[in-house]
Amino acid sequence: MNSFDVLKISGSALEAQRRRMNVIASNLANAESTRTEEGGPYKRQDVVFASESVGSDPLELKGVKVADVVPDGKPPKTIYEPGHPDADKEGFVAMPNINPIEEMANMMMAFRAYEASVATFNTAKSMMLKTLELGRA
Amino acid sequence: MGDIFKTLERQIRAAGIRHGVIASNIANVDTPGYKAKDVKFDETLEKATIELRKTAPGHIGESGRAEGGRVDVESRPSWGDGNNVELDVEVAKMTENAIFFQTAVTLLSTNIRMFKTALRR
Repeated sequence: MNSFDVLKISGSALEAQRRRMNVIASNLANAESTRTEEGGPYKRQDVVFASESVGSDPLELKGVKVADVVPDGKPPKTIYEPGHPDADKEGFVAMPNINPIEEMANMMMAFRAYEASVATFNTAKSMMLKTLELGRA
Repeated sequence: MGDIFKTLERQIRAAGIRHGVIASNIANVDTPGYKAKDVKFDETLEKATIELRKTAPGHIGESGRAEGGRVDVESRPSWGDGNNVELDVEVAKMTENAIFFQTAVTLLSTNIRMFKTALRR
């Protein structure tokens, strides 16, 4: 194992979790958006993680990457609001299929995973610096 | 005397490899289907130490045996998505491994210092 691979692994996790956080932010921001470019209400987005080999490693240590960002297939929430400009003839509005509580829970999970990878990165760094000090003084 | 250097070097290398495996588990905490791994090197290292104690000089210190040990897949049950990484367990393992590493590095640098002192006499 190349000693720097571990930094790459933690770095890939930081990148992936940050991208997940972007998607969650976008979902929360658009929790009330009834109009999109492709028409209809905003659809909730979800990230798909996939593990990814780092370097040429006989141990096959895996980093992680965001393989895809996919729309959630849940149907839009319909609410009765006749005064809304996007209401249909019966007075129903199609709202995004977003549950803010679910998004907040996902955000906490992304944050914890990010935190753990920062800790891993720092541990690896201090281990490396410690070995560099061997034999000094 | 040289054998203690070899043992400690192995310990340091083993801890480095184990840290890589733990980092990989933590990175993949949300990857569907990922299975957590761990390095089993305690027994091999122990064997090496025991040999150091009991064998005559010249029989000891073959290198390349305890270098990292075996990488095993953890047998914990997995979540619904086939992933069996437990974040808290991995962070605890990481801390334990870092202390193990620190111990080896401290012992090694003490040894080096002793050598330097001896050379100065």
